[in-house]
Amino acid sequence: MVFNSVVFLFGFLPLALAAYYLVPGRAKNVVLLAESLVFYAWADARYLPLILVLILLNYAAGLLLQRGKARRMVLPATLVLTAAALVFFKYTNFLIDIVNHVSDAGLSSLSFLDVLPLGISYYIFKLLSYLADVATGKVEAEHDLIAFSAYVLFFPQLVVGPIIKYRDMRKTFHTLKNRYTLPQIEVGAEMFVFGLAKKVILADSIGALWQDIIASDGIGLANASTPLAWLGIIAYSLQLYFDFSGYSEMSNGLSKMLGFDCAANFNLPYVSASITEFWRRWHISLSGWFRDYIYIPLGGNRCSAVRQIFNMLVVWALTGIWHGANWNFICWGLYYFVLLVIEKNFLSRYLSRGKVWPHLYTLFFVVVGWGIFTANEPGAPLGLLFSKLFLPQGGVSPLYYLRNYGVLLVAACLCSTALPAKLWAAVRRHTVVRLVLFGGTMLLSMSYVVAATSANALYANF
Amino acid sequence: MSKTVYRKDRAGKKRVECPSLLLFFIFLFGFALLNLLWPMREQSELENRKLAKPPAFSVKALLSGQWATGFASYMQDQVAGRDGWINAECAVNAMLFQKVEESDILLGADHWLFTKFFTVNDATAAQLEKNLTAVTDFAARYPGRVTFLLAPSASVIYPEELPAYAPMADENALLDAIFARVATVADVIDLRPDFTAAKEQYLYFKTDHHWTPEGAYLGYSRFCSLKGLTPFDRAAHEAVTIPDFYGTHASAARPWNGQSDRITYYPLDNPLTVYQITGEAQYTATKTENLINTDKFATRDKYAAFLDGNNGYSTIEGNGTGSILVVKDSYANSLIPYLTANYAKIGVVDFRGFGYGLDSTIEKEQYDEILVLYNFQTFISDTKVVYINRPTTITN
Repeated sequence: MVFNSVVFLFGFLPLALAAYYLVPGRAKNVVLLAESLVFYAWADARYLPLILVLILLNYAAGLLLQRGKARRMVLPATLVLTAAALVFFKYTNFLIDIVNHVSDAGLSSLSFLDVLPLGISYYIFKLLSYLADVATGKVEAEHDLIAFSAYVLFFPQLVVGPIIKYRDMRKTFHTLKNRYTLPQIEVGAEMFVFGLAKKVILADSIGALWQDIIASDGIGLANASTPLAWLGIIAYSLQLYFDFSGYSEMSNGLSKMLGFDCAANFNLPYVSASITEFWRRWHISLSGWFRDYIYIPLGGNRCSAVRQIFNMLVVWALTGIWHGANWNFICWGLYYFVLLVIEKNFLSRYLSRGKVWPHLYTLFFVVVGWGIFTANEPGAPLGLLFSKLFLPQGGVSPLYYLRNYGVLLVAACLCSTALPAKLWAAVRRHTVVRLVLFGGTMLLSMSYVVAATSANALYANF
Repeated sequence: MSKTVYRKDRAGKKRVECPSLLLFFIFLFGFALLNLLWPMREQSELENRKLAKPPAFSVKALLSGQWATGFASYMQDQVAGRDGWINAECAVNAMLFQKVEESDILLGADHWLFTKFFTVNDATAAQLEKNLTAVTDFAARYPGRVTFLLAPSASVIYPEELPAYAPMADENALLDAIFARVATVADVIDLRPDFTAAKEQYLYFKTDHHWTPEGAYLGYSRFCSLKGLTPFDRAAHEAVTIPDFYGTHASAARPWNGQSDRITYYPLDNPLTVYQITGEAQYTATKTENLINTDKFATRDKYAAFLDGNNGYSTIEGNGTGSILVVKDSYANSLIPYLTANYAKIGVVDFRGFGYGLDSTIEKEQYDEILVLYNFQTFISDTKVVYINRPTTITN
């Protein structure tokens, strides 16, 4: 059940909120868990036992770790089992492919793995972070199984994250009275509506430009001119940002409406003046996870230069493959590894002195990066895309697309900056203007939700 | 919660404390309630499809996720005010975002709505090749008896009305190639010169993918001059005009400032017999009615009045001599009435409801001539055109 569907907006959500608000404080976690279970089972009842078993496993392991019992056994065993679930469901077929390529084993791929268990990339990371935090004493092991299950299954974060650590949500789960305030719910509602607008108005409309080029009924990338190929990949970059950040904002808005303040997952990544900065602003919960649970335990920056580079290699190879079991994602991760090593060792000095060019430099490499990122989609093979981008050539001109998508593109570029937030902060004090803007966005988003009868979140597959 | 919604400000006036939240909750809960009470629809006329209904419940369907999927599409399809929401989206796209394309329809100048045709993909190119081969092979078996009329798209006749820079595929080149191939085995009618010369006339509906009866008449006139026939005399008949026709393009693109089309036709007494096809070259008459089913003018799909829509096989009694078999898509429906002036019997085959080859029907019903009439868009993509060349299954 995606958030941008009528069944969620006017079926699940009003019922879920009403039940949550109406029950007494002690029962809120139970209600939240029940709602999350329904939300999960709605999409994928088959894999419900898997997530339940993993919850029990990690819950029990947390308690054992807390008591210091069999620490040496419990921690690695649980971490490995939990991570193995992700590896098995997400990468088995990819590994079988590799084995078949390098040998003539001729293994057949497992068709039941074609569809990933819902949210597995996200909830496994939540579980791993919990266990690591308990082991390092950053958070107390949770004794309340209901609260812990509600955290892992938490429906606002189930499909596409963000990956919020238990230590950042624990307090609210144990707040039985006054878990939320009206102004907090209001901010949550605003975040939700603006996130929805980003997803259904901007992301989906602009994504159509890229589809006009690469889809099977599109003009075909092979027929596009170089300027149109650039316009297309820029449109894709904007779509990806608004799709994912919009969805994250909806998620955080929902969390807020339930009383949970979660850190933003995106912070205007396209205004960054370096790749390093970009990764501090893009999918923050994921890069934070890799920093806290991979990079720093490996030694982080506090080791030799060579070891540092090795640590970065590990982090970025994993970041790449986390996005999908495909070579293009690994290449995409390694691409950032190279860029970040160059920045760290040489370029950052110059970047910090520049004014305009660091932004252009960052955008250029990020946009080209998205070209690698989407190379597993049919219609945009990497060789063709790069030859279109970097070997100037004629073909279908971008003029029509600029005419058709121009206003949307300008709107999207403006919305990639701090401008809308500033404007909103300014008008929020004027009740009438605020209501017109907010209500208008709400109704407009609704019309796009109905009109786009099928539009799914891009990031749900990762 | 509600007790804190109002608070007195310093001036002592009541004001809403959380106005956005209040608005959000009114919409969320109010619309959810409205949605519950909203009457269910069987069919969406605008989208021309059946709308989803609540799925049947079973434990199996629930566990497989089928029930959930069905329920989601039910809520999406039956949402209160569905047409209004979609109209609003189209209007915002056109007005606020200045888009010139909606649901694969190009929003041209002067209220023109065109079929978007930017590319001939591999599948279409392969289909066109198959269709062309089938038609030429078929025509080669009936030398001197086959006429091939391929109506060009409106965008070829009125390219200046297209949105600026629209990268349309080269339909002219494709038409040239198609006509050149077919001309080796049959008479061809290329209407581009006639249509371009007469472009001030009302040749195509602006809101629909069909030509008008006027455009069809021009095609028919060209057919008559090719065959040396005296055309249907429009002046001798009374014309009836049906206003407020919003065609398929308007349904898809929902132009906010939409202008309607009008359909002009000439009432005739010639009966149309529609058959059920029970086997190859075996037909049972199901109904005999007027050439124009005027009931359809009361519905949205007004063009379907001509020949009562697309039937697999039907015949018309004409006032002329000889017989002709028209193999066609819906473009022919508004042209065929004129043929009553020239032929005694007109057979009509639409392969979308006719699953056999044509040879046995031509032989059994003794058709003198064959007119193959399609519009360009159908001809390049329709997968059933090839039936024209299907070998007969009847063994003697």
